Amino acid sequence: MKIPKLLQAVLVLIGVYLGFILVFDVLLDAVIPSSVLAMYMFFVAAGVFMVFTFEEDGTRELVAPIKALVEEPSRRLIRNIVFVVVPVLAGAGTYFQMVPSLDAPVELRSIHPAPPTAIKVYGKRVNLLKLENPYRKFEKEDPEKFKELVAGGAKVYIQNCQYCHGDKLDGKGPYAAGLNPTPLNFQDVGTIAQLQESYLFWRIATGGPGLPKEAAPWISSMPVWQNFLSEEEIWQVILFLYDYTGRRPRSWEHDG
Amino acid sequence: MRQFLMVVAFTLLTVGLFAGYSNFGIPQIEPAQPPKQEKIDLGAMTMDKFIALGEKIFNGKGTCTLCHNNLGRAPMLGGTAGLVPKRLVDPRYKGEATNVEEYLIESFVKPSAFVVAGFGKKGTNDTVSPMPDVSAGSIRLNDAEIKAVVAYLQDSGGAEVTVKIPTDAPEQTEQTEGEPRAPFETPEQAIAELGCGACHKVATEEGEVGPDLTKIGGLRDKAYLRQAILDPNADITEGFEKDQMPPDYGAQMYAQELEMMVDYLAGLK
Amino acid sequence: MNLCRLKNLKGISTVLAVGILWLLAGDAFGAETASATGVTGGYGPAPDLKPSDYPQVAGVNSRVTIWIVAQLHLWFAAFVLAVPIFVFIIEAIGMRTRDKRYDDMAYEFIKVSITAYSLTAIMGGLLLFCLVLFYPDLFRYMSVIFKDSMFYYALLFFAESAVLYIYYYGWHWLQGGFRKWVHLTLGLLLNAVGTTLMLLANAWLTFMMSPAGVDPAGVFSGDAWAAIHNFLWNPINIHRFIANIAYGGSIVGAYAAFKFLTASGAQEKAHYDWMGYNANFIAICALLPLPFAGYYLAAEIYAYSQQMGITLMGGLFAWLFIIQAVLIGTLFLSANYYLWCGMGRSDGAKRYYKYIKYIAIVLIGAFLVWFTPHTLVLTNEELKALGGPYHKYLGPLGIMPAKNTAVNLMILFTALSFMFYRRANKVATVGWVKAGNAIQVALFTTGILNIFFLGVYHGYFTNTVYKVAASIPQVLTTLIVIVASVVIDSFMYRRSQEAGPLHWGRVPPRSQYALFLLAVSFTWLMGLMGYIRSGIRQHWHILDIMRDNSPDAFTPTLGYAANVVSLATILFMAMVIFVFWLSQVSGSKTLPDGYWKE
Repeated sequence: MKIPKLLQAVLVLIGVYLGFILVFDVLLDAVIPSSVLAMYMFFVAAGVFMVFTFEEDGTRELVAPIKALVEEPSRRLIRNIVFVVVPVLAGAGTYFQMVPSLDAPVELRSIHPAPPTAIKVYGKRVNLLKLENPYRKFEKEDPEKFKELVAGGAKVYIQNCQYCHGDKLDGKGPYAAGLNPTPLNFQDVGTIAQLQESYLFWRIATGGPGLPKEAAPWISSMPVWQNFLSEEEIWQVILFLYDYTGRRPRSWEHDG
Repeated sequence: MRQFLMVVAFTLLTVGLFAGYSNFGIPQIEPAQPPKQEKIDLGAMTMDKFIALGEKIFNGKGTCTLCHNNLGRAPMLGGTAGLVPKRLVDPRYKGEATNVEEYLIESFVKPSAFVVAGFGKKGTNDTVSPMPDVSAGSIRLNDAEIKAVVAYLQDSGGAEVTVKIPTDAPEQTEQTEGEPRAPFETPEQAIAELGCGACHKVATEEGEVGPDLTKIGGLRDKAYLRQAILDPNADITEGFEKDQMPPDYGAQMYAQELEMMVDYLAGLK
Repeated sequence: MNLCRLKNLKGISTVLAVGILWLLAGDAFGAETASATGVTGGYGPAPDLKPSDYPQVAGVNSRVTIWIVAQLHLWFAAFVLAVPIFVFIIEAIGMRTRDKRYDDMAYEFIKVSITAYSLTAIMGGLLLFCLVLFYPDLFRYMSVIFKDSMFYYALLFFAESAVLYIYYYGWHWLQGGFRKWVHLTLGLLLNAVGTTLMLLANAWLTFMMSPAGVDPAGVFSGDAWAAIHNFLWNPINIHRFIANIAYGGSIVGAYAAFKFLTASGAQEKAHYDWMGYNANFIAICALLPLPFAGYYLAAEIYAYSQQMGITLMGGLFAWLFIIQAVLIGTLFLSANYYLWCGMGRSDGAKRYYKYIKYIAIVLIGAFLVWFTPHTLVLTNEELKALGGPYHKYLGPLGIMPAKNTAVNLMILFTALSFMFYRRANKVATVGWVKAGNAIQVALFTTGILNIFFLGVYHGYFTNTVYKVAASIPQVLTTLIVIVASVVIDSFMYRRSQEAGPLHWGRVPPRSQYALFLLAVSFTWLMGLMGYIRSGIRQHWHILDIMRDNSPDAFTPTLGYAANVVSLATILFMAMVIFVFWLSQVSGSKTLPDGYWKE
């Protein structure tokens, strides 16, 4: 038996919707955010519309039941029911969308806000655009010394950072569970691998309180490390972060 | 016509969808306001530092202590900030200030708005103040410097410091430090820059604290004048007080400037 | 016809007024500034403005006014600069093939743009007035540096008008043989002048983004060429040139769609269907390389100033790129939909219908990746369930390599749609059809695999340095596959049979709405991207040289920007509809009974 076109379209939409839920929420165990799913479904619907209506016969078949519903005198009862139910559903949807809930408001943060041009750390003004890791050069020039510096950074990390960011740098330290926002996972491809070393220096030195307004509302508990660590220690720990995770700091020169 | 209206409706719907998505579909992050202008270091200044700056100007560039000292030339300013509310309702008050900060700023630039009894210019029955406008003439404090002094006066007077650290005016006191200044070209320039006119009647200035210098060349010789600048207390003209003139002009002036001034003064007959 | 001429007279007078005003303004300001700063050879540092230096005029918001006026001017300018480019090409095609339809279509295109031309001039004049009124100090500073180029700009405007009017009004006069050659040369001249105009105007705006020829205090060195040839000038030139063509195509497409919908006879319908198809073809051809020009521009912005680059892609503006992604996706989808609908013109197209859904699946899939945001909007439950703001699987889709891969696939499959459309009405007769098809399938398969490999491997398993670098081989793969397939196709279908006559006009009205969607989306998108390009300077009139200290120096929220862009789009669309209506009115005659003495 041939399934009517309209039903086909609806089935495809429901199938894709359930597919997303099944794949993300069940199989991958990582829920798909409702905001993303809504947009996905909007464009999947647009795609389904395109495929089902690009040729004339198919379109006629698709809209035939709708046309019949609206125009045919024999379907008066169903029509009246539909004409009541659809607005009610739309109204209910709007109501539940807009009704204030007891949940805390959704927090939106730029995880990596644009840095300022210059910052004031250790009592001096530093130009972030030109700032470079003073130890990075040893990677090529003096590998022995570089190793030492990385080891120094590791020590700093274990003494200060791992409580939150974890001993595997995966953001799952002993205290991580108590924090919101959760500590960054440096193993993730979207964190330090996307950033320059000067950016890390800025974030470490000025901590949560140093974040610009566009990253707000931010209640990051990252300490202002310039009060606890020396400049050299921060640069060493940055070396360690990249070394341990095997990532490279972002740079715009292709000879990197 | 029907097609036309449908096209219009379709266009509006499309634009509406885009606008709706931009307004409600994505988070509205309010970007930070533009940063305070960076080249002025005042923005990074704490209130304590600002008050300290005010104190420095009060004792230095502002030449305030020439008169506002314990010799009775002008009122002491220690408690002025606390007295302002009373003065604002005093019938003799002619200014427009409504609070302490405004009153103090006004008193710097329009000193005659309120003259403390007994400190007016002679013969004016305390309606005209002998104090110069500090934003003009030889003292020439800028807005930021005036505010710093106000902050200092509010702070030392025990009043609440209401002054906001300005961010939109260049800060000049800091700039002149460290590097040697260019020598003065003319005696008039030197008089203006060194602030002689705050006390002396000389050139176009009308100071009354120190001796009138307009005809000094006829009374004193060059050696005396040189000594009077380098060591003001060596000889005090009758009717004037000791310790009024700052003793450090010798250090402030270049040798050639000193000679230029001596020649100039000796020439005033 | 009368009305049309009146309009053009008005256009000429406006151009005159603009030119004179420009001269006067440039001269007066130049003299004033020179006398004020006599010591430094006539050039002073950029002024340090106070909020009180910005005049408040009639209580309107200066920034929004100038924003909308500049945007309207740009839209019209893009349209009238683009149309002569493809009119020239179409005219040349008509001349070569001796197919009069092409010549008629070219004439109709230029007829549509002629009224828009005077609107461009009016908007330009209005923009100049607004600049002088609202931002006098900025304009004064700019006009000192660009005084020569502004002068030539005014002169070139005369040249542009003269050539355009001869080109348009002389169309039927300069026909046949040598005269046609003269006419075509005029078309080339028109494009040369128009492009030069655009290059000059581009120099002024790129100077504001990447100032050159001035020292850090803004003192001009006197080298005007250095100021014009600044760092971002050429990237913007390329990007704008391509985008203008795509934009002009889409607007003309909307015109044809409107005429199609309102047409009465079958012949008229067929004509406008054909015109719409050609316009859409132009738009798509220019749309395909546009993302690459965009990447080049973005990369150069990064190279010039990392701060500007991070502002562009990071935090706040990152969300703007999500909107942009949705819009570009819309462009691709509507362009594809139009092609699919257009298959109905051919009787042989049914053979390819079954593939359409697979193209759609790939397109939609790539599109979903293309607009997956880097920072997800999460509710509290989702946050808890995920254990943090990172999504293990969606997160990696938010960064550049995934998007590059997606956009390359979209381009590749749009090209595939187009190839199906081309084949729809043809039956190949050469002996190696099977082999040819197999080669094409192999080509597409390896191309897609290569794009995937480059995206996944270089994007996620190597150094970040290569993340950006991988986009270049991806682009090359896409281009090679498209070019090679088109070449094979052209040989394969050299002596092909037609499956049946092509039925121009046999398309559903829905497809015409796809053309409208294309035009509206394009307009809105240009407005948005214009805002981004200008907005990344943040609180600077001229980056790091001249600070914007007006009360409007703040960066607005996205909703605010989108609303301004929407308002401007509606204004523009209203004016465009007016222009279309005029071109229709000029052709219609009403003969009142008994009004005139017989």
